[in-house]
Amino acid sequence: MVLNATANNPSGLGSPSLKQPLPIGSIRKNQQIKPDEVQLLSKYIYAISGIHIEATKAYLLETRLGRLVETLGCSSYGEFYHRVKSDSSKLLEKKVIDAITTNETLFFRDANPFELLRYKIIPEVIDSRASEALNKPIRIWSAACSTGQEVFSIAIVLKELLGPSKNYNIQLLGTDLSDAAIKQASYGAYNKFEIERGLPKNQLQRYFVSAGGTWKIKDDIRSMATFRKFNLMHPFAAIGKFDIIFCRNVAIYFTLDDRKKLFSKIADALEPNGFLIIGSTESLTGVCPRFIPKRHLKSIFYQLR
Amino acid sequence: MQALKILVVDDDPVTRSLLSKKLLKADYEVETAENGVQAVRMISSHFFDVVLTDLKMPGGVDGIGVLESAKENNLKTEVVLITAHGSIDNAITAMKKGAVDYLEKPINFDELFLRLEKIQNLKHLLKNANDLREAMEVTEQTSGETIQNLEMTVAELESRLEKVRGILSRQDLTAEQRIIKAIEC
Repeated sequence: MVLNATANNPSGLGSPSLKQPLPIGSIRKNQQIKPDEVQLLSKYIYAISGIHIEATKAYLLETRLGRLVETLGCSSYGEFYHRVKSDSSKLLEKKVIDAITTNETLFFRDANPFELLRYKIIPEVIDSRASEALNKPIRIWSAACSTGQEVFSIAIVLKELLGPSKNYNIQLLGTDLSDAAIKQASYGAYNKFEIERGLPKNQLQRYFVSAGGTWKIKDDIRSMATFRKFNLMHPFAAIGKFDIIFCRNVAIYFTLDDRKKLFSKIADALEPNGFLIIGSTESLTGVCPRFIPKRHLKSIFYQLR
Repeated sequence: MQALKILVVDDDPVTRSLLSKKLLKADYEVETAENGVQAVRMISSHFFDVVLTDLKMPGGVDGIGVLESAKENNLKTEVVLITAHGSIDNAITAMKKGAVDYLEKPINFDELFLRLEKIQNLKHLLKNANDLREAMEVTEQTSGETIQNLEMTVAELESRLEKVRGILSRQDLTAEQRIIKAIEC
């Protein structure tokens, strides 16, 4: 009854592609991707996600798709491409998106935007609402929410700032391209590695319930947010207007041309006095002249001209 | 690499001292607790890398209680449960609650050391990953500040340029007046 049995007997797996037993701890040598396959797959990934992979970053295709290629038993990336393309259920397409998208995210990743939200943006939006129709909802959008950490960080700020009162009508939307990310965000459960960093212990205890080695966001926070799959390359028409948009660290994967289109659509989706927050190392100079940067303490936010 | 700091929890004095001796001999840093209650008290005041605890203990706090308290106190503490032979259900319950591993009595010390080595390796990898992430954060923060300063500067220059353009195109001023006003911008 040894739990960490190092059973490494591939004969039991019935997989013809595993011919040799692997030495323990070794990684099977990855198939190398050929230049024409790089081109084929980059083009395909661009078409389904807008993510632009330069030829010089072909290794990204290997590191991100290698496992999928091997589990499907494909002998080459070319074969993999055809398998994915011919899958009418689109299940493999989803898997490619899940594998290729970066889900590097933290609770309160970079404290500045959340301070900005707490001390500047939310009070201003609420003030401006006071003079308008009160029941018009305050709408906040996390445009590439990954596994939900940014959305729940926003929700926690809102909760702490506004209390439990239902006086404010707030709609918090998180969207992402990856089905797997949206699924996790909707479920709102995180493992200890995801929770350990970024989240102070008192907030962990206040807003999460521990359930068998994972931490699940409490219902009152979870219920503040809605999640859905959304491709930023597509038209925004159906998504409506927002008072606050977070679009952090996603445009960096796009071409300049696509970045221009994206931020122009974001400009259209922002209320006249709305706020846009982008990643701390991102810039809109030469990307979207409709926005002007404004500084508040250590943070920058953008508003329409 | 720093030696793991281990807390051994067992109400049986023989097992406790045997474990303690063997671990000390293998250069681990070891402390012991006679029961769950004492263990919980120790865990709350000191950090342990690993808590090695018997599952069944008298006095109100059993191995699961120690596990829960350790995890509540610091997620980085790894807990290995020691269970009676044949009580795999208990072990699985413990694993579900976040124990990293379990050992069956009688303890096979080779097996114990293998487990500890694995934990040590895992902690080492995690530390590396965390160090890298921290380095990345520092880089991101400094480059972020630079980029944001540039962004503000560019925006300011653009608006000044806009003003200059406006002045230079004014027809109500002489060429000289336009230049003087433009320089003032």
